[in-house]
Amino acid sequence: MSLPEFDFHAPGTVEEACRMVAGFGAKAKIFAGGTDLMLDMRRNRISPEHVISIPGIEELKTLEIASGMLTIGACVTVARVVKSKEIAAKWGALCAGAKALGSCLVRNLATIGGNVVSARPAADIPPSLMAYGASLVLKKTSGERVVSINDFFTGTGSTAMGPDEILTRILVPEPPPHSGAGYVNLGIRNACDINILNVSSYIALDGPGGAIKDARIVMGCVAPTHVRVNSAEKLLIGEKPTDALFQRAGEAALNAATPRGSAYSRASAEYKKDMVKELTVRTLAMAYREAMGR
Amino acid sequence: MKKLIRVTVNDMEYEVAVKPNQTLVDMLRYDLGLTGTKNGCGEGDCGACTVILDGTPVSSCLVLAVQADGRAITTIEGVEGKDGLHPLQKAFIEKGAVQCGFCTPGMVLSAKSLLDENPGPSEEEIREGISGNLCRCTGYLQIIDAVKSVSK
Ligand code: FES
Ligand code: FES
Repeated sequence: MSLPEFDFHAPGTVEEACRMVAGFGAKAKIFAGGTDLMLDMRRNRISPEHVISIPGIEELKTLEIASGMLTIGACVTVARVVKSKEIAAKWGALCAGAKALGSCLVRNLATIGGNVVSARPAADIPPSLMAYGASLVLKKTSGERVVSINDFFTGTGSTAMGPDEILTRILVPEPPPHSGAGYVNLGIRNACDINILNVSSYIALDGPGGAIKDARIVMGCVAPTHVRVNSAEKLLIGEKPTDALFQRAGEAALNAATPRGSAYSRASAEYKKDMVKELTVRTLAMAYREAMGR
Repeated sequence: MKKLIRVTVNDMEYEVAVKPNQTLVDMLRYDLGLTGTKNGCGEGDCGACTVILDGTPVSSCLVLAVQADGRAITTIEGVEGKDGLHPLQKAFIEKGAVQCGFCTPGMVLSAKSLLDENPGPSEEEIREGISGNLCRCTGYLQIIDAVKSVSK
């Protein structure tokens, strides 16, 4: 199948891109890495009149760590995150998500911003960003705003971003001492796969060997968007980390999951629920192990 | 409306008029006649359309031809040197890593990118390096052998 007809624009700056999205509104689609957009266009799910290509905008490709904050420009490729030793050292769960995305050929094109904005419930990047408490900088001609990634996804493929806005940067705070995170995705093969399920967990301890003072658990593919498991988080906070506690958190995640078991999702609802528990327990154990070493 | 782009392919400069919705793989095949690059799935899954774009291997079915404006591309036709086939290509023949050949251009380009960056990859790294290229014939082992045989 061939692509629909559209006009192509390649703005040189973020300001120019903002003016374009403001002018075209819903008639335009932004091309970041293109790995989701090209598929959607080819399968006739969308046919924009205008395609605004932004991977050439330098400002959107900055990747820096400064004063306790990792800043990822929206057009930083997933491959760059995989290769970054600095990110691996402090934000290991984010790296794990990046490694799990597509194949190396896809990762060389796909962008971190694109994987967030596409808002696919099986996406590999959002869970860990949510677990680390990231925020997103959205820009339009009249200024910019910062939103928590927790409030960003409103449905499959839809977000809180206005048609006149573009995502410019992702801000990921450095995890405090005695904290850790883990990401696990479940697919059929390692490369080129769509997840059946993915979970990311983060915990922070009150000093070495202390109680859990902060917890974030995020699951994907069990609802129209990635979701936080508030019930499991509540049950963890204030408690000493133990295997039994993690099992109970897993049970809470199982009960909170509302997967649809369709042919498309390639796994039954029962299977997904059981696995959500398993992956929650596993990622909590990973998070705990990291927290003890830091 | 067509747009005129300038692109360097295998060290040759071209000026091509492309439609905005034309993919890079189609431009290479239909406008430049470089049919070594294959169009398999068209969706970024198979790697048959692999080209090296500004030093990075990518699926050219996911790139718009207009986006190649001002950039440099290596296709399989550009891998061969003055003295004939590239050592990797020879190794593919010697190890029986080619059957129908549809995946071969993409495989060779992915392997070449890997070796350019990491001349002595482990088997794991070789597997990872060609993980975006599907082969429905060989079962991959001969391909891995071929890449290994030219690694340092
Ligand atoms: S044709 Fe491009 S990845 Fe299959
Ligand atoms: S040789 Fe036939 S697909 Fe690889």
